[in-house]
Amino acid sequence: MGTLSLEGLSFRYPGRAEAVLDGVTLDIPAGGIFGLLGPNGAGKTTLIAVITGQVRGATGRIRLGGEPFERVRRAQPRCLGLVPQEHAFYPMLSCRENLRFFGAVQGLAGDELRRRIAAVAAFARIEAVLAHRAGQLSGGLKRRLNLAIGLLAEPQLLLLDEPTVGVDPQSRAFLLESICSLAAEGRTIVYTSHYMEEVQAICDRVAIVDRGRVLVTGALADLLQDGSGLLTLHLRSPLPSALAEAWRAQHALQDDGGAHYRLQLRAADEIAAILAAAQGAGCEPRSIAYGRRDLEQLFMQLTDRSLRD
Amino acid sequence: MLRRLLALWEKEWLALLRDVHGLAVLFLMPAAFIVVMSLALSDAFKDDAARQAEFAVLAVDDAPLARRFAQSLSGDGFRESSAPASEAEARQGVRSGKPSLVLVLPRGLGRALAAPAGGPAPALTLLADPALPSLQLAAFQQRVAGAALEQRVSTLLEQAGAGLPELKRAALNVEVLGQSRAQRPSSVQQNVPAWLIFGMFFVVLPIASLFIVERRDGTLARLAAHQVPFPLLLLGKLAPFFVVNMVQAALMLLAGRILVPWFGGETLALPERWDLLAAVAASTSLAAIAWGLLVAVCARTLEQATVIGGVGNILAAAIGGIMVPRFVMPQAMQTLSDYSPMAWALEGFHAVLLREAGVAGIAAPCAKLLALAAALLALALFVQGRRRVLQSGP
Repeated sequence: MGTLSLEGLSFRYPGRAEAVLDGVTLDIPAGGIFGLLGPNGAGKTTLIAVITGQVRGATGRIRLGGEPFERVRRAQPRCLGLVPQEHAFYPMLSCRENLRFFGAVQGLAGDELRRRIAAVAAFARIEAVLAHRAGQLSGGLKRRLNLAIGLLAEPQLLLLDEPTVGVDPQSRAFLLESICSLAAEGRTIVYTSHYMEEVQAICDRVAIVDRGRVLVTGALADLLQDGSGLLTLHLRSPLPSALAEAWRAQHALQDDGGAHYRLQLRAADEIAAILAAAQGAGCEPRSIAYGRRDLEQLFMQLTDRSLRD
Repeated sequence: MLRRLLALWEKEWLALLRDVHGLAVLFLMPAAFIVVMSLALSDAFKDDAARQAEFAVLAVDDAPLARRFAQSLSGDGFRESSAPASEAEARQGVRSGKPSLVLVLPRGLGRALAAPAGGPAPALTLLADPALPSLQLAAFQQRVAGAALEQRVSTLLEQAGAGLPELKRAALNVEVLGQSRAQRPSSVQQNVPAWLIFGMFFVVLPIASLFIVERRDGTLARLAAHQVPFPLLLLGKLAPFFVVNMVQAALMLLAGRILVPWFGGETLALPERWDLLAAVAASTSLAAIAWGLLVAVCARTLEQATVIGGVGNILAAAIGGIMVPRFVMPQAMQTLSDYSPMAWALEGFHAVLLREAGVAGIAAPCAKLLALAAALLALALFVQGRRRVLQSGP
């Protein structure tokens, strides 16, 4: 499977002035996990819906390995899997009945269907609850069933829309490990989430979208590289005022409160002197960061801090 | 394609079988209506026995004349009760409806009837319960006039030495056309098809509610992502609910045969042409399911579906002669009734169950129902086709 290319995708809901997608252009390489980040209403779910063909009237082109995506899907109907944000299964059916139904509508039958149900149940570790009604499962098990259904037809391209919402840390860790193992098998995974630490932990490449536009895209390691000379310091106690004044003059010190500081350095070799001065003032460092920012900082910087909902 | 369709049917069946409320609406509600309404309206469809009004004849000076009047007035919906001792007692009794009618014969009436020269007879007084239907009162007035004439003629003939033939009952046989069983339609015969139709149209609720849950939970989005065509989804709902409607029809007919008599009502008489009955039931079912699918596609929430589907059904039933028989409606309402699909269905069922009609008798109602089903399905597809978001979302 080649690169999934989105070229100038635009979409506007009828009766709305603003476009939900406004010329989205992205290249999602084959294999690996591609993180799609954005605040609420940024257009992530709509972008997934356009890729899966749930919405009509979107403009632009979608290609897979250079071929029109529609043509690829006609030739390989099982190439695409979707795990929606909702618990998209029938609560009144058992887990096994849900898996059988969604497998059958994807064309699986007989031994192949039974084998795939067993495989995805084992993968998602839901074998013990296969006979249980889906609506009676815990939140974590529902998420695992949701994922299992998406894997029934062994899709090469898997779209995961907020797959870990509302689960406990154990279930989240299990789901993330499972998703990483899927990528390791060579699948292409598009992963949308609000959880920056998740995306930072599992994604190879990311795109940050807001108001229907792609703000930045690239390899995660490159995006987190920070060449601005920013040093972030977290000390055990606040700086004495004299030292703080001095650093404000020399390094444009910013006090973020709670003994968190940001300093602008001209070169990396200034770090040693800074740390020595802090220790000399009785302020032992708890943590320092230089030359690298975290994803949340980048996200907030790009999407600004205003509330969206 | 067939494999997908079978999977959709199986899913729909399992979902429906586990929907206790939906099953209750589809099966218990019409069965309860059939039993209750057949029993409640059983008198309204009878000619005599249970609907009889009681009357008494009071004649202070001529007990044999009172007896003869009472004999003449008895029958055809009127039953004699014991005569009150006085007019005052008679008035008190009629006020409480026991009896409903008292005919007071004036003094000297016997002599006046026997007078050969005739002349003005003293006036009779009829005391009537205000709750008595006006038609029944008018009928009794006619009977009193007839009884007085009968007494006069009888007395004169006796004086002339001639006898009077049996005139109490008119020699008239009533034959209701189309009834080989030579009986008039009973309450159960009217109510079983009426409430069966009502129940069949209530498939709108389980169809719409599951569809809305599917849309809300994202299962329709998932199916769209797997390129399941929308018409196939509708077909996946049509077949299971068609079977449900047919089972409903069989069970409701069975209720008319077993349940209603068990509660003391009459037994439903079944037609010989089962195929025609099935054709009417199938046409009704397709119209009901298509209506359900349109509501499912248009309604955004369960509340909307309940209001549109439930209230729509109740209105169609009220207009269509399900709740109130059409023959008691004023002309304007009967004309309006022609536009209710439930009236078309009822017309078809009555053609088979009451008139024992042939194919020609059910052709018009079935054609109307099938045309409606096609139009509603086309509208559902049109509404969905105009949506830019195919299965989910705003």
